[in-house]
Amino acid sequence: MKSSLWYVGTLLFCVAILASGCRTGGDEMGESLIIEELDGDHALMERFEDGVRVTDVSFDPVGFRYDSYQIDGAEVGKLNRVADYLRGEGGVNLVVEGHCDERGSREYNMSLGEHRALAVRAYLIGLGVDSARIQTRSYGEEKPIDMGHNDAAWTRNRRGEFALYR
Amino acid sequence: MHSELNSQWRGVVAMVVLGLGLAACVHAADVEIVKAGSIKTALSLKGLRADAQAPSKTFMQVLTSDLERSGWFEITDGGASVDVSGFCQASGDRLTGQCRVVNTITGKTLLSGPLRGTVAEPRQLAHRTADAIVKAVKGVPGIASTQIVMVGARVGRQDLYLCDADGARLRRATRDGAVCLSPSWGKGVSEILYTSFHNGYPDAYRIDLAGGRRTRLAAYPGLNSGAVLSPDGRRIAVTLSKDGNPDLYVKDLRSGVVSRVTRTPYAAEASPSWSPDGRQLVFVSDRSGRPQLYVQALHGKTAKRLTYEGNENAAPDWGADGRIVYSSRRGGVYEICMYDPVARRHSQLTDGGADWEDPSWAPDSRHIACTRTAGYRSHLYILDVMGDPPLRLSSSEGDWYSPDWSSQ
Repeated sequence: MKSSLWYVGTLLFCVAILASGCRTGGDEMGESLIIEELDGDHALMERFEDGVRVTDVSFDPVGFRYDSYQIDGAEVGKLNRVADYLRGEGGVNLVVEGHCDERGSREYNMSLGEHRALAVRAYLIGLGVDSARIQTRSYGEEKPIDMGHNDAAWTRNRRGEFALYR
Repeated sequence: MHSELNSQWRGVVAMVVLGLGLAACVHAADVEIVKAGSIKTALSLKGLRADAQAPSKTFMQVLTSDLERSGWFEITDGGASVDVSGFCQASGDRLTGQCRVVNTITGKTLLSGPLRGTVAEPRQLAHRTADAIVKAVKGVPGIASTQIVMVGARVGRQDLYLCDADGARLRRATRDGAVCLSPSWGKGVSEILYTSFHNGYPDAYRIDLAGGRRTRLAAYPGLNSGAVLSPDGRRIAVTLSKDGNPDLYVKDLRSGVVSRVTRTPYAAEASPSWSPDGRQLVFVSDRSGRPQLYVQALHGKTAKRLTYEGNENAAPDWGADGRIVYSSRRGGVYEICMYDPVARRHSQLTDGGADWEDPSWAPDSRHIACTRTAGYRSHLYILDVMGDPPLRLSSSEGDWYSPDWSSQ
């Protein structure tokens, strides 16, 4: 009940963002869309066995602003595509992997990466994906995809990735 | 900030010089030399003889270096207020001798005893001797026999490494073949707690160094990170996300009961460190929008914010004497800072030029191990809160970070 209301609210918000012609790019992304209370309804279930990694489909990582776990309006389309896929593939489970850029404390970045992964998870649950199918895993700043030390590299490295298992 | 610290010590120097005229013979520590920042007691090792064999020579070299590294002494040949005499000799597999420490002003013997070691481990005998001298002369614990655990990243893989307080005897402690983070000492120097992806997820483990055994301490769904053992050795503080958000928890290791410490639905917590009495935690939280330090009692409902200066503050370590060190982002770089709860004052210990992070107190409440990163390479450094210049510890290839100094 609560989540369906939230879902409608989110859709309205998406429409509002699209209507306002929100622009994104680089380090400064669009207005943030979701500040989700990550608690109560979203407790993590027992870890599922990862199973076999699904390799025939992949999704673009979701980007984040510096020191933020909030999902940006411009990133919502990526999440919708993941939710659509999961709703159609009942046998596939998802591990959302949260990552940070190299700046700041490694240990804090572990928590921030987890916070990002949980924000993605909560959003997907809001779109109707069963919470038992989504786990989270933070890598903090330990697994950069871009080894550079500049704004462009940092922007690429602040991300939530989708690891699918069947 | 750094100059504040210096001027504070200049005040002490002036007092000591004054004290010389009035009461020159009260105490050996009154005859002091100021060099490289901190006040030092002049100590002579001239009366300590070693035979010509290699272990005895190593013993002398390491003892000299340990006494200098302790920060308390200036090694001199003449005019010393503390004389160390005796001998050290190798016979068979034994390294033996005698050591006597005398206050030359009062004539009082501060320490006298046999040296008992092995030719295989001359360094350890020197470390124990240096610590006994520091304790006898200054009344504080020495650090020469202590160890440091850290993460080493070499040729694309991460492992935990150990070294002695002087950087010697670097050795690898893990071969997980997975990302590892946040090592901290458990009981004594026989256990290490750390975060490992050994099983695919970030879980909290304890390794028993003697037996080489690994035990899982927390492996709940989601994050299990930065576990640290309580001063009484019965509990760990750890960051978990099992209830849907990264928060701090305390787990009783015997009963397995987990209790929640923070409850911040919109924020992430990290990096807990125990108060010396085990009743409070200092930690990082981004509840204000940026990572800052907070202190909370284990059974308290509210946290008190500790840091306001610097747009990020992280990696706190609560020392045995109550002072808290942490890294603080100021003017675009991270600096090591210290909070004194008695004076209610924050001071900055480093002076830019690089990023200084992840401080960890030595048991002497004087030295701090930390990471210095410049040109994207990280090395281990030792800082002295009494003003001696920073000392680089790691010399090997690779990146060295997240040090934790053993408490004994």
